[in-house]
Amino acid sequence: MNSKSVILALAFALIAPACTNLDEEFFSVVPSSEYGVTPDEIKTIAGSAYASLRGFADDVSNCYPASEYVYFLIEAVSDEFCVPQRGSDWYDNGRYQDAQTHNIKPDNAMVLSAWKYCYAGISTCNFVIQSIEQSGLPEQEEEIAKAEIRGIRAYYYYLLMDWFGNVPLSTSFAETELPANSGRAQVYQFVESELLGIADLLQPQIEYGRFTQNVAYTLLARLYINSGVFINTERWQDCLDACDKVSGYELTDNVLDNFIQENQHSDEIIFAIPYDHKEGTVGNYFLSLTYHYNHWQAISASAGGWSWSVNGPCAQPGVYSSFEEGDERIASMCEGIQYNIVTKEPILDRTGAVLNYTENIENFYDAREYEGVRISKYQTKEGDVGERDNDWVLMRYAEILMMKAECLVRLGRAAEAYPVVAQLRTRSGLASTPNPITLEVLDTEWLHEFLFEGIRRSVNIRFGTYFEPWWEKPNTTPVEKAIFPIPATELVKNNKLVQNPGY
Amino acid sequence: MNNTFFVCFTSKPANSIIRRLLVLGFAGLLLFAGFNSLSANTTSPSNDSKDITGSGNLQEILIRGKVTAAETREALPGVNVSIKGTTTGTVTNLNGEYELAVPATDAVLVFQYVGYLTEEITVGEQTTIDIQLVVDIIQLGDVVVVGYGTMRKNDLTGSISSVSSEELHNGVITTTEQMLQGKVAGLTVIKGSGDPAEGATMRLRGGTSLSAGSSPLVVVDGIPGVDINTIQPSDIQSIDVLKDASAAAIYGSRGANGVVIITTGRKEKGKLVEYNGYAAFGKPSNYLDLLSADEWRQKVEEYNKTRAIDWESDTDWQKEITQNSVSQSHNISFSNANENGGFRASLTYMNNEGIVKTSYLERLGASLSGFSYGLNDKLKLDFGVHTTFDNYNPVNRAVFERAYNVNPTAPVFDSTGAYFQTEGNIAENPVEILMNVNNDNTTKRILGFAKAELEIIKGLKASVNTSYEYHSHQGRYYLPTYSRFGTPDGGYANRSVGDYANMQLETYLTYEKELMGAHRINIMGGYSYLDNTYEGFMSQRRTFDTDLFLYNNLGAGLDYRTDDVSSYKGNAKLISFFGRANYSYRGRYILTATVRRDGSSRFGANNKWGLFPSVAVAWRISDEAFLSSTSDWLTLLKLRAGYGITGSQEAIGEYKTLALLGTVGGKYYDPETETWKASYSPVQNANPDLKWETTTQTNIGFDIGLFNKLSATIDIYQKLTSDLLFTYSVPQPPNLYHETLANVGELSNKGVELTINWTVMQRGDLRWDVNLSMARNIMKIEKLSGGVYETDAVQSGSLHGLRGMSNQYAQTIREGYAVGTFWGQECTGLNENGKFLDVNGNVLDSQADSLNKDLGNPQPKFTLGFSTGLTYKNFDLSISAYGFFGHKVLNATAMSMNDQTRFPALNVPHKMFNDSITSAPTFSSYWIEDASFFRLQSVTLGYSFHFKNIGIERLRLYVMGENLFVITQYSGLDPEIKIEEYDSSTGKMDALRNPGIDRYDIYPRPRTVSVGINLLF
Repeated sequence: MNSKSVILALAFALIAPACTNLDEEFFSVVPSSEYGVTPDEIKTIAGSAYASLRGFADDVSNCYPASEYVYFLIEAVSDEFCVPQRGSDWYDNGRYQDAQTHNIKPDNAMVLSAWKYCYAGISTCNFVIQSIEQSGLPEQEEEIAKAEIRGIRAYYYYLLMDWFGNVPLSTSFAETELPANSGRAQVYQFVESELLGIADLLQPQIEYGRFTQNVAYTLLARLYINSGVFINTERWQDCLDACDKVSGYELTDNVLDNFIQENQHSDEIIFAIPYDHKEGTVGNYFLSLTYHYNHWQAISASAGGWSWSVNGPCAQPGVYSSFEEGDERIASMCEGIQYNIVTKEPILDRTGAVLNYTENIENFYDAREYEGVRISKYQTKEGDVGERDNDWVLMRYAEILMMKAECLVRLGRAAEAYPVVAQLRTRSGLASTPNPITLEVLDTEWLHEFLFEGIRRSVNIRFGTYFEPWWEKPNTTPVEKAIFPIPATELVKNNKLVQNPGY
Repeated sequence: MNNTFFVCFTSKPANSIIRRLLVLGFAGLLLFAGFNSLSANTTSPSNDSKDITGSGNLQEILIRGKVTAAETREALPGVNVSIKGTTTGTVTNLNGEYELAVPATDAVLVFQYVGYLTEEITVGEQTTIDIQLVVDIIQLGDVVVVGYGTMRKNDLTGSISSVSSEELHNGVITTTEQMLQGKVAGLTVIKGSGDPAEGATMRLRGGTSLSAGSSPLVVVDGIPGVDINTIQPSDIQSIDVLKDASAAAIYGSRGANGVVIITTGRKEKGKLVEYNGYAAFGKPSNYLDLLSADEWRQKVEEYNKTRAIDWESDTDWQKEITQNSVSQSHNISFSNANENGGFRASLTYMNNEGIVKTSYLERLGASLSGFSYGLNDKLKLDFGVHTTFDNYNPVNRAVFERAYNVNPTAPVFDSTGAYFQTEGNIAENPVEILMNVNNDNTTKRILGFAKAELEIIKGLKASVNTSYEYHSHQGRYYLPTYSRFGTPDGGYANRSVGDYANMQLETYLTYEKELMGAHRINIMGGYSYLDNTYEGFMSQRRTFDTDLFLYNNLGAGLDYRTDDVSSYKGNAKLISFFGRANYSYRGRYILTATVRRDGSSRFGANNKWGLFPSVAVAWRISDEAFLSSTSDWLTLLKLRAGYGITGSQEAIGEYKTLALLGTVGGKYYDPETETWKASYSPVQNANPDLKWETTTQTNIGFDIGLFNKLSATIDIYQKLTSDLLFTYSVPQPPNLYHETLANVGELSNKGVELTINWTVMQRGDLRWDVNLSMARNIMKIEKLSGGVYETDAVQSGSLHGLRGMSNQYAQTIREGYAVGTFWGQECTGLNENGKFLDVNGNVLDSQADSLNKDLGNPQPKFTLGFSTGLTYKNFDLSISAYGFFGHKVLNATAMSMNDQTRFPALNVPHKMFNDSITSAPTFSSYWIEDASFFRLQSVTLGYSFHFKNIGIERLRLYVMGENLFVITQYSGLDPEIKIEEYDSSTGKMDALRNPGIDRYDIYPRPRTVSVGINLLF
């Protein structure tokens, strides 16, 4: 054998291997094209629509409905809540101060959070719907499976319509075109027709945490009671009718029973976002933002998970003192001297003074450590950590009652409203109820019953108080500022979007 | 047998395919070797000194002699001694001695040795010729390692800097990159801290990426993509840095950031035992200027702070968390080699203590390599293994902020001996944080390689390189139940494992031919297959009944959570074809062209393969006849020009081109079963167009040699990186996910580099050399938006986490500016009330965006490296220094600390009272400082002994001082701030994470004095 030919053949073999296969091998990731084929896989995809309700955080912002900044935004523009600047803390480029004065700019981080929260949820819902459609379920089952997801999507669109007014309507995952704004009325109409369209497909029984028929009718009632605001057409009777379709709930003995850590057993809650930090849920840490740095001593024997309580938002001055003597609902706030749970001694603040939460805030732009009564609606317990386990209440039966009462008053049937309001007040330890029930009475009742539940902004707008000056909001608010600006970064990304008037 | 190579393995897992390729490749070679050795002559046993002339001619004169190095007077073994005009010759033995028979008295002996000037001596009447060889500083005859082969330095057309082991920085080195600090013009090496457990970053000619690191590709002994820390500094023989595209394009989609080629040490001939060791003593080189306890009390009184708490102690917290460190390193190696082959073994032990308490890096490194010739020297086999085993504790950087914050009147321990705690969430006792944790990490790195090079016919060589590189990182973390941070969980334990394996097969053919004495061609072509697999596992538990188990018994943790277990695995493949042709006419006109075609599984379906060509020319003007009159002083004048396209695929990562589902949305509550279940949702949009970042680079350079004493290299380059990868925020809907990685932007770097090597003096026993490297680079983002991906400006340099600055950003990525450009308002000073003033003389309102402007950027404009060496008799002295100039640093530490509302609860700098600042912390130009610096990196003084009679070749003792001073205007701890940061969420370097921001987390750099020994025998 000629050694040179061997050498050459070998050399050729060495440099000319032909393997050029570059396909990816998958191990711990799954491409969407290969998932969602079995019923169990479809279930996990549908679950993502519910999981989306908890929101998310990305590099740019925290988009949590129970904390920063979705909850912050809708509360900070209302008359029950404020985020005073404390030294250099809580300035954050003026985002809370602009909310306080209704001078929100399109680059406000809180506005972006609210927008992203909704649209991330909508995208997820669109994807889920598409996955269900492709799964090959029988048509009736497919419609039932889709109904819940359409309900969640309608909830997100309701929020968008309420907060931003004119927003793009995207209902299909397959669309690739950049969407333009739809008018507020169009979005309103979409939400209404979706809710009516799915109502009969939804679960009629009470099922905690699911988008059931009751949830759809509660949302529909909210839509109707605010119709005057949304589309300039009052629909009080439609609201009453929707409320009447909500059934099977009763008031808990104490209003705060709805806000305990194991609140999933409440008979009053219609819709809530479930949380359990041990299951990895995040975004429910608002209580760690409102309490003073040393407040943990009032709750736990050791600093524990309270190590990052950061002394932020509190009740707007005037709220605490508006409560009547004996109203148990005042326990939604934490006022006065705080005592160490172990030593029973008063807790000291960082300057060594007794920690004494005061209603008054001397200077919104430079508040003292102890100023402002704290939001304390959800239960605290020994051993709490930053992320909390109480489910975040979105809708509860008391709201149905209040909507009924308001519609009755608006329709001139105040006498019928009286027992409804009285029922709520009695539960909270108030022996008497003003008679007749007026809009003013209702306004106060909305405030006291639903303090810090994310509803106040709607009430302020519906009652018109939103546009009047209040504490640290010296000017009247122009009507167009009842909706927020479209976030600046969204306008950059999508050139078909048009900014809301007035911004 | 050969056909196996043509099979395309599509159905089998990659690992087994590669393994088969490796095994078959070698089986083939070994079989061939065996087959051929049957007919080949066995090589005769070698002698240390071998006379290859024919013997027996009585008229010959026997010449004896000894060759030594002029500089060190050490014997030089392995020097080629030949008779001019003949093939007759020999080599010197271990003692530098030779014997050679010459035919006549007019014979001329030629002494040749790599790295030394060739000497010619006419024999005349002498029978003993001792000679001293002088180091060739111009190194014209040197061989330079380029991709897939070597080249004569004469024939180089690209911009390549070579650094020999003598020039590499020595001293207390914890990351191998540090050896290159200040040594190569245009290569910035930044070690952002004094933490022995933290790595350094290298960056050549600016960065080429927005979203990934811009580290050069590291090639070790021909194996691309190696972790540089697998190789111990003492094992490195030389480092060549391929800077321009024409040199780096042979590495295609990984070459855009340049290539660092490391050649590990091995004597080609002779026997050597070497020991190097040192003990180093370090202490913090700087502290922040904060109030002492007495000053704190004084200020409390002066400002009438009634509610200040005086804990009645006196603590300098910065001193409490630091220590004087003692480090040691030992390296021993031995090698033995002759014409037939040889080996080298090396063992390193290092224990590097940090100047922050509890921080350390302990390393055991071992390497073994051998080579053998066969088949009448036609076959060369090379095997080797490099390993390192590291143990380290990366300290919690949160301790620095605490050390600056905690009230100086607070004691470290209370009266019961327990750690004292003041209240507040950023003022925990930092000593407690350091002490009450177990954080024992290990990293193991193994690189094994096998190479075969076969000369098929004269000039034609076939090479096969196979390698397997494996890293394994293990994290072991335990926060005891009694620790401040561990109490909430009742103890917290975490174990993690991350493995990484690269399997590589590279085969190539090289053909070299000289025609008619005037034309020389060198052609190379090959194929490369790389398979990278990484996988990992993490588990954690909380709530332990006892602290006895530490992290060793996770099952004992009582608290179970969803996120307590996780694992991952991924794989990428890179397949390449490459070729290079080099043509030289009379050594004067040189042309090089290269091409590489890279296919990567990371790339999108529409762009699976990329082509990376380059071309370069060189002209040795000094060899032209018209310059013969100047050849006595102008020893070299060479013009080089090159153009090429390279790529970077760092920013892509695996599976980035596909629409993926994931569980990041978290679980959902299933009311039917009252349990939590997993949910799957889109976590990534598809982008089938995704590809490498493309860098087009033009380079023009001059090499100049003067009087055999001075050599200079000048390079001018222009780089344009297009298809820049960036994660764009996209409208959702229509997108399923809110961001998409896309190739959109463009980034340019332009610059000039100058290197000067100058032998200032060489007279008798005295020699003095000076080396200088300088570089200027201008970086600019040319384009950010395009097509569907629109963004006018991207915010970076997050200030989130600093008081009152959540979701604020200090930097803006904007067209027309460098990466990391600070964007904010100019502050003109303070008014009488201590408030910041804007350009209009009003109190600065950080919301007034219209006043925002470019406030500079953290990219060094000018870098300088300087080293000098002086030897006199047995003494040697060397000094090395480097500097960065014109870069800006945001002193966010000062920005946050000069806040009157901190006082008296937290400590503050003197500056706050001196400047009477009353404004809340506000980002503005006030806190952006020019961080230009010049650092005296090291001064070494050594003395060498020679104890030949007891067999010791050389014993050198030295003392070295490191980081002796820094000249800078920067007011913070250290002006050398990292410009890219490791992002643990992606596992990659990220150029947009806090570049040039000093924010409380600077591990101070030590000032070190060390004493060491080098022993050769």
